[in-house]
Amino acid sequence: MKKQKSMGFSAEHRQFLKKRRQNVALVWSLRLGILVLLLGLWELSADLGWVDPFLTSSPSRIANTIASLYDDGTLFYHIGTTLWETLAGFAIAVAVGYGVALALWWSETVRKMLEPYIVVINALPKIALGPLIIIWFGTGSTAILFMTVLVGVIVAIMHMLSAFIETDKNKMLLLRSMGASKFQILTRLVVPSSLPAFISMLKVNVGMAWIGSIMGEYIVSRAGLGYLIVYGGQVFRLDLVMSATLILCVLAAGMYFLVVLLEKILLKNTEN
Amino acid sequence: MKKEMLRFSGVSLIYHTKLGETKAADALSFSVSEGEFVAVIGPSGCGKTTLLSLAAGLLKPSEGLVERQGSCGYMLQRDELFGWRTVEKNIFLPLEIKHIKTEENCERARALARKYGLGDFLQSYPSALSGGMRQRAALIRTLATDPDVLLLDEPFSALDYQTRLNVTEDVSGIIRSEGKTALLITHDISEAISLADRILVLSPRPARVTHEHTLDFGEEKNPMRRREMNGFSGWFEILWKELNA
Repeated sequence: MKKQKSMGFSAEHRQFLKKRRQNVALVWSLRLGILVLLLGLWELSADLGWVDPFLTSSPSRIANTIASLYDDGTLFYHIGTTLWETLAGFAIAVAVGYGVALALWWSETVRKMLEPYIVVINALPKIALGPLIIIWFGTGSTAILFMTVLVGVIVAIMHMLSAFIETDKNKMLLLRSMGASKFQILTRLVVPSSLPAFISMLKVNVGMAWIGSIMGEYIVSRAGLGYLIVYGGQVFRLDLVMSATLILCVLAAGMYFLVVLLEKILLKNTEN
Repeated sequence: MKKEMLRFSGVSLIYHTKLGETKAADALSFSVSEGEFVAVIGPSGCGKTTLLSLAAGLLKPSEGLVERQGSCGYMLQRDELFGWRTVEKNIFLPLEIKHIKTEENCERARALARKYGLGDFLQSYPSALSGGMRQRAALIRTLATDPDVLLLDEPFSALDYQTRLNVTEDVSGIIRSEGKTALLITHDISEAISLADRILVLSPRPARVTHEHTLDFGEEKNPMRRREMNGFSGWFEILWKELNA
């Protein structure tokens, strides 16, 4: 079908399309190339003793570490722990943040009342609350979950609230002229028109959720990727630190791509 | 004597802000009868939009009385179609808001859309429509609830000149053939002359009606042909002078 379609184009346009495809292919091969080059250089300098692999680790040592974690059955336990904390924290932060932002949009008085508090909580480095969180929630997953929610929820509130407030005034006027109630304005206009902002808030919060869960695991944990990183650092097993970091990269990227996929599905038909 | 659809009696409106109060309208009095097309012109910032908000009941007058018979439909400068809804769903929006989205009303709205050339675009999104077609869709959305009075707030001013002439012709034709009462706000003198039966001239803020003219184009309602008629430039001159007085 695609091929048939392109047959209808002029030679110049086919040339243009070909050039575009070539450009995309070039960019991708460069991206992969730089990765292979860096990994190769890293491996080589470790093997040839240019750097001390005890300090820098190396791709092959990382592969071995991951394989041995897999063999003793703890790999997916650690991944699962962190992934669960991150996803649950992300979901709660997004849901609560969205709900609070809606409430703040609804009532200007409540918004003005809470504004200074939100600003202060936003500015506060959440890690300062670490000791309190341990005392209140113990040393289990709950504490880490709480930390994850705490890091994400304020960002979610502020992001969504500003999107709700920026709802097109003329479209609001239009709905009011039709006799719309506040609830109708909310469901017909404010929520759908803020969908792009919702997606961008999700993207920001993917990062926030990982910060929260890993930070939480640094403070208090017995399992998870953050735990492996801290533990590896304490016992000077940098292979372990590097392995956990690498897995973290892959997971965070995967989660981000899921949001991008969601964006493509949800925003398919809008002009925003 | 035709039935009066809209009547302003000594309407004043004061806006209150932190820095003080602004009088936007001062003892406005006029009326619009059934089936009549009235244009209101005035210098920019004189409170024209305020007048429409008052007519729509979105603002309460500080003094005086606004009386309207029946329902009204509001049309704004930009089409304000919702990009996440299909053209059809956009047209159904006022039906949803008013809780009268019956199959009968939907079919009536669809019929209007088909009658005025949007039939093939009902399932498209507004982004697929040209500027002129978007404004036509906005008008059909306004007409979907079969309002008794149309309030038009410079509905053509955001369009480029050529589209504007075409859309003006379109919209005027639709309003005339549906027999609607219309109140048009504009700062464009020739647009007012080409469309209206009667023109009200407003003073700078606070808005008052300074002059009122009934146009003498007889039965000629087509904006394009009106522009070519002899009386057109004469009216332009008169209104121009009154606006700049």
